[in-house]
Amino acid sequence: MVTALGTAGAHGCGRAGLERALAAGAPPPATEVDRGAGYHRPGGARRALLTPVAALAPWLPAAEARRMGPPSRLAVAAARIALAEAGLDPAQLAGPGTAVVLSTAFGPCSFSEALLRQVLRDGPESASPYLFTESVANAPAAQIAIACGARGANVTLCQREAGPLLAVARGAAEVAAGRAERALVGAVDEMPPLLHAVLDRFGALAAHGARGSEAREGPGGRCRGEIGRPLDRRRDGVVAADGATVLLLESAAAAGRGGRVPLARVCGWGSAFDPSAPPTGWGGGGEALGRALRRLLRRCGAAPEDVGAPPAAIDRIVSGASGARAGDRLEARVLRAAWGAAPLPPVLAPKGVTGEYGGGFLAAAVLAAAVAGVAAAPAAGFGEPDPDLGVSPHDGSPLPPPRALLASSLAAGGAAAWLILGRPR
Amino acid sequence: MQPGEAVQAAPANPGEGADGAGSAGRERGGRRVVVTGVGAVSGFGWGVEALWQGLRAGTTAIRPFRRFDATLHRTHLAAEVPAAPASPAERPCGPAAARAAAGGRPLGTLSLADRFALSAAGEALAAAGLGAALRTLPEGAVGVFFGSSTGGMWESEQFLAGVFDGRRGSLRAIASQQVNGPGDAVARGFGVTGPVQTVSSACASGALAIAAALESLRRGEVEVALAGGSDSLCQLTYAGFNSLRSVDEAPCRPFRAGRAGMSIGEGAAVLVLEPLERVLARGAVPLAELAGAGSACDAFHMTAPEPEGTGAAAAIAAALDDAGLAPAAIDFVNAHATGTPLNDAAEWRALLAVFGERSGRIPVTATKAAVGHLLGCSGAIEALVTVLSLARGELHPVPALPAASATSGDGDPIDGACPAALVTGRPLALPAARAALSTSLAFGGSNAALVFSRWTGASP
Amino acid sequence: MPDLAHAASSADDAHAADVAPGADAASGANGGNAADVADIADVAGRVKRLIVANLHLDGLRPEMLDEQAPLFGDGLGLDSVDALELVVAVEKEFGIRIKSNEIGRDVFSSVASLARFIAGRV
Repeated sequence: MVTALGTAGAHGCGRAGLERALAAGAPPPATEVDRGAGYHRPGGARRALLTPVAALAPWLPAAEARRMGPPSRLAVAAARIALAEAGLDPAQLAGPGTAVVLSTAFGPCSFSEALLRQVLRDGPESASPYLFTESVANAPAAQIAIACGARGANVTLCQREAGPLLAVARGAAEVAAGRAERALVGAVDEMPPLLHAVLDRFGALAAHGARGSEAREGPGGRCRGEIGRPLDRRRDGVVAADGATVLLLESAAAAGRGGRVPLARVCGWGSAFDPSAPPTGWGGGGEALGRALRRLLRRCGAAPEDVGAPPAAIDRIVSGASGARAGDRLEARVLRAAWGAAPLPPVLAPKGVTGEYGGGFLAAAVLAAAVAGVAAAPAAGFGEPDPDLGVSPHDGSPLPPPRALLASSLAAGGAAAWLILGRPR
Repeated sequence: MQPGEAVQAAPANPGEGADGAGSAGRERGGRRVVVTGVGAVSGFGWGVEALWQGLRAGTTAIRPFRRFDATLHRTHLAAEVPAAPASPAERPCGPAAARAAAGGRPLGTLSLADRFALSAAGEALAAAGLGAALRTLPEGAVGVFFGSSTGGMWESEQFLAGVFDGRRGSLRAIASQQVNGPGDAVARGFGVTGPVQTVSSACASGALAIAAALESLRRGEVEVALAGGSDSLCQLTYAGFNSLRSVDEAPCRPFRAGRAGMSIGEGAAVLVLEPLERVLARGAVPLAELAGAGSACDAFHMTAPEPEGTGAAAAIAAALDDAGLAPAAIDFVNAHATGTPLNDAAEWRALLAVFGERSGRIPVTATKAAVGHLLGCSGAIEALVTVLSLARGELHPVPALPAASATSGDGDPIDGACPAALVTGRPLALPAARAALSTSLAFGGSNAALVFSRWTGASP
Repeated sequence: MPDLAHAASSADDAHAADVAPGADAASGANGGNAADVADIADVAGRVKRLIVANLHLDGLRPEMLDEQAPLFGDGLGLDSVDALELVVAVEKEFGIRIKSNEIGRDVFSSVASLARFIAGRV
């Protein structure tokens, strides 16, 4: 069971801001990225969905936070937010029965960059122990463990956009196998200028001006260009985001003992790989991944032909479609291939609100299982269907709460991960 | 189990599976998993035989290196992988796999860590008798579970050095920078369509990756798992560990009284893991059985291990429990043994907690003393050495101490505060060893342990 | 990474061995003593600024640091990674090299002890 959710991102800290943004299909305002270092190409993307740093402060006592890099701060804050929203005293989690599984796409890149700058420019002997300690991918997970006294398994996964759902699966497996009583699982990413600039140079980010853009009113004023348009014909890339989401997974019994009302039930998971994908992009076909998804659905009794059989067939999809041209095309093909002749259930595409990276998608998937407004949300950024895809996101009209929700994420480089969430019984 | 149809990947109601039962009632219905092939790249060279012969001869691969200018760093040694074999015929990873791994881009875009990984994977598959047969397996039946700390960081350093100098670098150099680069390269190179994931939990990555493969195989999610790791030398890591004053100027001397730190190495290791019944059905012979895995976190400090080794002891106990074996069944230990004052002391406390009064008698070897610390790959290469130790009935010694370190005539004695029964001098013959333990105590406090048992030919 | 508890005794030996030759001559004359004291005071001031600048101790100003107070454990509550960070900063600021076995409880117990060590080294 998912019994708590903590999230920090451009929407602020806590789920309320994110729920509102998702339900309205309105992303928070994007922030201008600092381009002072000169990494960015002229005319390239300028904005990202960045977490207001001051919002994290209440969750991070200065004595603890003074040596944490940005990803650790985000992750520890999200973990604490999760516990607070569930009314849990961190001391209740301490012990060998609490595992931590986090994912990160790019790891602590700002500290790595700073450390490398020291090494290459000032010489290796000027390398800062602080920076090094917090430059490893597992630093956030280690900091969560220290903050919560979590002494079970501690695993950090790096699998780009597929990482978050893989982390949930790994944590759920720990609990299901009895190796842990509960698991703090989630995703974290920072979005420093160098990373933003590199993503832009790879053509991954939604463009500024020109192609695909239009003036658009959003909260906080006009926003020209740089819009993530999942599944839209005009899509031209993602809006990069930083942030963290941490979920608490527990057995039903443990949740019951604690008197916690679960947000969702983890019903199944699976993953696959497309070896035709280039190292930083998506493959073309989708048939093989579609078959893998179909096998997963059949294993969990949630395939389209299982309508009416418990557990219920999937009646809501939370798609990882993000506005990436090739990524969204592959996502559409995989879903179409898995469903075959049967019509797709309503497809939600929250990355128009959450941006790509930073755990927002994971939070949106869980909220879609738990919150009516999110479960029927329109997709921000979508306006024109793409006939090449044959899949369009839900338009925001009211829907009954989902019985079984499929979250889908396809990583650049070929990995795919899926998660099936159901209603708590 | 139907061909082409993997058994359910997760219990129907995972949330309820662990209800109140604790470890005693934990689901143990999984299949037995064995190692059918291994491949490696290390400071001793490309290939398992180079590694094994170097280890058993008691030599060290920790020496001056050429990858970058070490005179600028506080220490100057590493176990650097020598240049790849010149003849394509000698390279375990064929050109087709390399091209596939590069994903349509020039071969030059493969990082060194990618190349290590591909070589080790190719060698392991060939040794397992799979190789070409891999592609005849049902879709989704093969998975890759990898560990890495730095991925293509070395290549990225070249790129970023240019960027910091205001030169426009080719983005190609950074294309494989991600930590999941080597694992993905192996998956692309060998046409893998099942689960692919990379763990990056510092020194525990390789062991945690193997543990993930074990889980996946037991559940029937895959039929073949390529589990391992890869890391290459880079300035970031070398300078970073030096900034912590964790690196010995001399080759590391685990468990010795005068030990002064770790030595850094590079390379890759891959184990091919399969369910036992599949292996027997196709007439292959296992090298060893992967009996169990366990992990636990110190939750103590970001760099120093918890001094009593409680987290490490918990990981070992969990691995033994998972294997259904008592501590008494363990006949030798391949220790994490980095050679830092703190690690070896804490690790000893853990061994003491688990093995009690036997601790000082169980033979212990320290592979890092020979090939250095392979960081994200270390758990994998040490698991591989453990497998070979069981299969070949022999435990490698740690390298002889250099003459210069002899102080009072007895060399550098074992530290009385961590009196492990270190194998020195000649290899220790252990043809009847029943089971062995391989430990990883990571930076940041994540501990992992693997238990392997000797394949005796007995049926399940 | 050196443990501050373990390294203490070897730090003693190293300190004794590494007293700079110049110090012997300077300590013989009154003028030399006064200069020593002034030097150490200057070094201590710079050390305090380094601590504040490099250890991310919010709200701390150099003048708030008591030169005799313990830096580690109680007192300022720094740990081994802080010590190492300070070592890098000190090496760079004063142009000296600090050996790993000198990074111990003895030299680093307080601002004053660290200043004495550095002054003897420079």
